[in-house]
Amino acid sequence: MTTALQYTLSGLAIGGIYALVALGFHVMWSAAKAVNFAHGDTLMIGAVLAVMGVDAGLPLPLACLLAILAGALFGVALERFAVRPFIGANASIGWMLTTIAVGIMAESLATMQFGGFSRPLPSPGVAGAVSILGAGVYPQELVIPAVAVLAMVGLHLMQRRTLVGRAMQAVAHNRQAAALMGIDVDRIVMLSFGLAALFGAGAGVLVAPVIQASANMGVLLGLKGFAVAIIGGITSGPGVVVAGLAFGVMEKFVEGYVSTSAREIVGFSAMILILLAFPQGLFGRREIFKV
Amino acid sequence: MDAHKYLRRLFLAAPLAFTIPGAALAQQEPCIGNSAAITGPAAFGGQAIKMGAEIAIEEINAKGGVLGKPLRFVQYDDAGAPPRGVDNTRRIALADKCVVILGGYHSTVSVAQVEPVHAIGIPFVGVLAANTQAIENGRSPNYMFRVSAKDKWVARFLVEQASKVSKTGKIAFFYENTGWGNGAVPDVKAAIAKAGKELVATETFNWNDQDMTPQAIRARDAGADVALFWALDREGNQLVRSMDKVGYKPTVIGAWGIAGNLGELAGPLANGVEVVQTYSFMGELDPRGQALWQKIQAKYGLKDPSQIKMGSGIANAYDAIHIVAQAIEKAGAYDWKKVREALYQVKYDGLVAKYDPAFDAADPERQDAILPSYYKLTVWSDGKLLPIAQTPYGKTN
Repeated sequence: MTTALQYTLSGLAIGGIYALVALGFHVMWSAAKAVNFAHGDTLMIGAVLAVMGVDAGLPLPLACLLAILAGALFGVALERFAVRPFIGANASIGWMLTTIAVGIMAESLATMQFGGFSRPLPSPGVAGAVSILGAGVYPQELVIPAVAVLAMVGLHLMQRRTLVGRAMQAVAHNRQAAALMGIDVDRIVMLSFGLAALFGAGAGVLVAPVIQASANMGVLLGLKGFAVAIIGGITSGPGVVVAGLAFGVMEKFVEGYVSTSAREIVGFSAMILILLAFPQGLFGRREIFKV
Repeated sequence: MDAHKYLRRLFLAAPLAFTIPGAALAQQEPCIGNSAAITGPAAFGGQAIKMGAEIAIEEINAKGGVLGKPLRFVQYDDAGAPPRGVDNTRRIALADKCVVILGGYHSTVSVAQVEPVHAIGIPFVGVLAANTQAIENGRSPNYMFRVSAKDKWVARFLVEQASKVSKTGKIAFFYENTGWGNGAVPDVKAAIAKAGKELVATETFNWNDQDMTPQAIRARDAGADVALFWALDREGNQLVRSMDKVGYKPTVIGAWGIAGNLGELAGPLANGVEVVQTYSFMGELDPRGQALWQKIQAKYGLKDPSQIKMGSGIANAYDAIHIVAQAIEKAGAYDWKKVREALYQVKYDGLVAKYDPAFDAADPERQDAILPSYYKLTVWSDGKLLPIAQTPYGKTN
């Protein structure tokens, strides 16, 4: 029982990271029908800049805040220079290559500036493990899934209640019609990439105390986050968060009761099976492209 | 001839460049090459090799070089990728015409280099990567040598330490799912069986794994009171943290993958984690180590020995260069074959060990120069990796 609880808590912590990354993919896809494949590197930028900020003598909260803002700026700049010029024609896929390329460049640059080692980000949340019915977990790990759920709720409210949120919905629904209604489509798309990057960099800062910041930390998390977004249904915010948390917990149970090396095999097999049964993802809506 | 045809011929002709046998090429030059990771997560490994090699070469050149000519050092980046290591091997042997090639940090690269090294016939001296099969590869004549630790011997050394501290006689083994980690599995199993102890948990993990509580729980529930690590710092940190979370406190003894910055990553949790090395610049140094450290300080602008990551790499490379230089003198020529044979004749009182002789042609296990009796146990203590005898941990053993 304690063991099962341990796996669930550890799984929720990792699932929370997947969920935050997947939420970013959801925001971008909703507005632009394109995503930033360097999104994992946005997470890395948040974590690495926070550590560099602390190195430079900034207080921890300020370093984290600046790192998250810098991550958001990265998202905005990337949309402007690596996505927008390549998204003009229908079904154009140039942005896939350009965003992947930017991600690789960001990683190389980070390796040069930050070095090859993993570095810790200090946080009161990892000072000591707390015991919950015999299962050990860092407070920081409990915060991650909570933030993911909060971000999801906040995003939902924003999409329903605010002008910007509604404009995002409109752009997602039909670019041309939205533009005819006087919505500045480019600005909305830019905003959603910025918002997604904010989530990504925030996830990086949250997770760095637990898994340490390093130049290549974003690759696998970005990929898993994307997989989770697809499983959950990239058009549904709550869907990707639920899928993220569930995927994290499932991974831990596979590691615990089958074996560590079986984790990726079982995880990605489950992904393929789910996509066969639910081509739009578990909670996704069918999207109709009009050509 | 149109451009298309020309290009196609060029492609067809390219492989010919590599089929020319080494002997047909011009004379080798007084140069030692190295393929190592100088970018990527293990860049500190390439940096350590460079430091040790450059300082040794400066010392040799200050005394007139080898065979009357100054030695040269060239280093190429393989970033830990085996294909690039293979390319660099050819480049060092055929373009730079070096006499000897030094190995790098990654075992997977060294294993991949066995083939081109023998196809060309250039002596290879490993100075970091510890994989057993890279050097004990069954070739005859064998061109692969090593002045570094060997996993087979490291496994025995670690199991000996584990046997000393284990009260239950039950040992757990955690290894990374890579060429280095998997290569050590048979070595560790054999060493534990030989010591008459019981391996109760064999657990693996991947690079970048964020949590290892399932593995820690299994080892804890199996009753192991000593855990052997074949891990790098990042994953070693996740292991000790996961153990802490599930309230599991075994004695941890690791191969040198956790000799980098585990102390910084894991904080107080790293205290007492023991690591095997061939050399350490930490703590009190003998006059020779002190002299080398002063040269490193002056040349590379370091302030404190704790800034050195992988001090073993510096010392191994330093000794290896001196051994190679002596072999060239003994061979009397910058010739691959003659230098290979001369390596078996070198006797050298080095920084890490007394090499007497460095290598033994009669014993396939003795393509390795550093015997296990020279391995050193160090321990993480408040963020610093110190020789265990100079810490409180040394007294309980």
